[in-house]
Amino acid sequence: MTQATNTDISSNFRNGVKVDLIGLSRYYKDVAALKSMNLSASPGELVVLLGPSGCGKTTALRALAGLEVLDGGTVMIGSKDVTRLPASKRNIGMVFQSYSLFPNMTAKANVEFGLKVRKVSSSERSKRSAELLDLIGLSSQADRYPHQLSGGQQQRVALARALAIKPEVLLLDEPLSALDAKVRSQLRDEIRRIQLELGITTFFVTHDQEEALALADRIAVMRAGEIEQIDTPLSVYSQPTTEFVAEFVGKVNRLAGVVVSQEKVDVESIGPISYDSKNTPFQTGTKVQVLIRPEALGIMISDTGQWRLVSKSFLGASVKLNLTNPAGQRVIVELSTGEATLIEQDSPLSLFGKSDALLVQRA
Amino acid sequence: MVAVTTNVGRNGKEPGAANVLKLGRAFRYGVLGLVGIFFIIPILASARFSFLGNNNTITISAYTELFSTPQFWSTLFLSVKIGLGTVLLTLALLIPTVVWIHLRVPKLKRVFESISLLPLVIPSVVVTLGVITSFKSLPNIIMGTPVILALEYVILALPYSYRTFDSAVQAIDLKTLVDAGQSLGAGWSKLLRLVLLPNLRSGLLGAAILAFAFCLGEFAVASLLSFTTFPVFLVQVGQVAASQAVALSLIARLFTWMPLAVIIISFGQRNASSKKKTVSLAKTIEQEETTGIA
Repeated sequence: MTQATNTDISSNFRNGVKVDLIGLSRYYKDVAALKSMNLSASPGELVVLLGPSGCGKTTALRALAGLEVLDGGTVMIGSKDVTRLPASKRNIGMVFQSYSLFPNMTAKANVEFGLKVRKVSSSERSKRSAELLDLIGLSSQADRYPHQLSGGQQQRVALARALAIKPEVLLLDEPLSALDAKVRSQLRDEIRRIQLELGITTFFVTHDQEEALALADRIAVMRAGEIEQIDTPLSVYSQPTTEFVAEFVGKVNRLAGVVVSQEKVDVESIGPISYDSKNTPFQTGTKVQVLIRPEALGIMISDTGQWRLVSKSFLGASVKLNLTNPAGQRVIVELSTGEATLIEQDSPLSLFGKSDALLVQRA
Repeated sequence: MVAVTTNVGRNGKEPGAANVLKLGRAFRYGVLGLVGIFFIIPILASARFSFLGNNNTITISAYTELFSTPQFWSTLFLSVKIGLGTVLLTLALLIPTVVWIHLRVPKLKRVFESISLLPLVIPSVVVTLGVITSFKSLPNIIMGTPVILALEYVILALPYSYRTFDSAVQAIDLKTLVDAGQSLGAGWSKLLRLVLLPNLRSGLLGAAILAFAFCLGEFAVASLLSFTTFPVFLVQVGQVAASQAVALSLIARLFTWMPLAVIIISFGQRNASSKKKTVSLAKTIEQEETTGIA
């Protein structure tokens, strides 16, 4: 792969465009798949739509592509209203969850399909497909048919095919979910590399929070047809605005507590933990529910400790520990592997807050 | 599974398994042989009979007489014409309908499948009269001509043609392919020409062959509507000249097999030259061949 060709490709793209989804609504019978959803992406941004199945994320993506009819709302690409345009006229590249390569065409012919439809000359087509196959590292497989390619290779070709038409927007609908773990993370990084290189505005749909955190400029967490929170991966993870977001993006412990000051809550069986009171000022003495990430808790071995280890699961760099106490409460703590070796089955343990509570809300 | 057992057998560690395997293979070939005999004996017997002259001499007079009968050629052409018309109508009806069902109303797949089977359940006489009644208002160019037979056959062959095409559509991810094609800028005509038809070729071929074979063998409806098609001619001949009738039935068989063979061979070559997935396609064509003959 030469640097020169890559620069050629990126210069072929217009600088990324702005995309605005305004008040998108879609109803299936009486069930709302999208409830007046608003979302804007700035030029060249990668926005991940994250949520459980049925939250409307795929519907939103398909509406943007023109593959789904809307009951209301406006889709703007750049400064152009494309709401009424059919999919074939929108100049959008899309990669699908299931393998979508045309089985009757080689990898090269698949990449060239969009250009052929646009009546681009065959020499121009060959040049462009060679560039793109090079970009995805599959030049040597150009003459293979889809059934002769692995799942990961097929999705790469699908990506090249989507990019061949120089789309203004790239849409990825869970493109990695059919692949095995290793290929998935590899291809994920590659998608991000190519997206940054081309500077193309991209929407990525997934239900995998790890994928979302790794890829996104911003994550839109969706629930029941609406965006619950949209922010950078770090903010979504460490400052969720709702319980749903806290629980969907990462693991969380849920404990009862009482507010003792503007900065601290006294958490039952654990003790004082600091929290960010900026958005949620509570009066001292308020009974609250405290959400804490497993890695925000620390463990001490102490004779007065009430907690006991139930089980450990080794995750590689860290270890997940399940703890319980005589009151029947259960807590998950994540420690680095080194720290975790010190914790033994029968040791009396006590817990403390290492960092801020994630979210504090009225009980 | 099989390969593993064979290895064990060859190593001599478990001779029992090898014996079981041998037995299984013998059984398979035995069954295959029996089925072959069941099919081939009547054909051989009729071939022998058709070449038998007076006093057990061998003669080809049955064939020469047939070929010199003008009715032989006229009825054959009529049946081929009706067959081709039926195939065209069937495809024109099936492609948009089945594609539409799969894309827009997948819930109705079962319903349409059951409807397509109705001609098997309803006596063909009833279907025939039904078609005539429904098309009564059509101009005489259709009603009084073999065109009406093609209309009948489209419906009567539906149980075979519909299912064949439907299962071909089922086998591809139609929705995703259509979505992908549209997002790449293809309108319906390009989608159909560049994506759908090439990927549904085997199903279309199967449906066409079945519909055609049906037309070349159908007697009851043609005779009911007083058209002398090839099968009707065959029965007429059978009433006056037995050996000619048998010769005719062999020829008829040849005529159904010939288009099959032509299509299969031409497809085979095309695949070989375009480095296609030769094996799997050959398999599909093989399947079609068997269904076509049966």
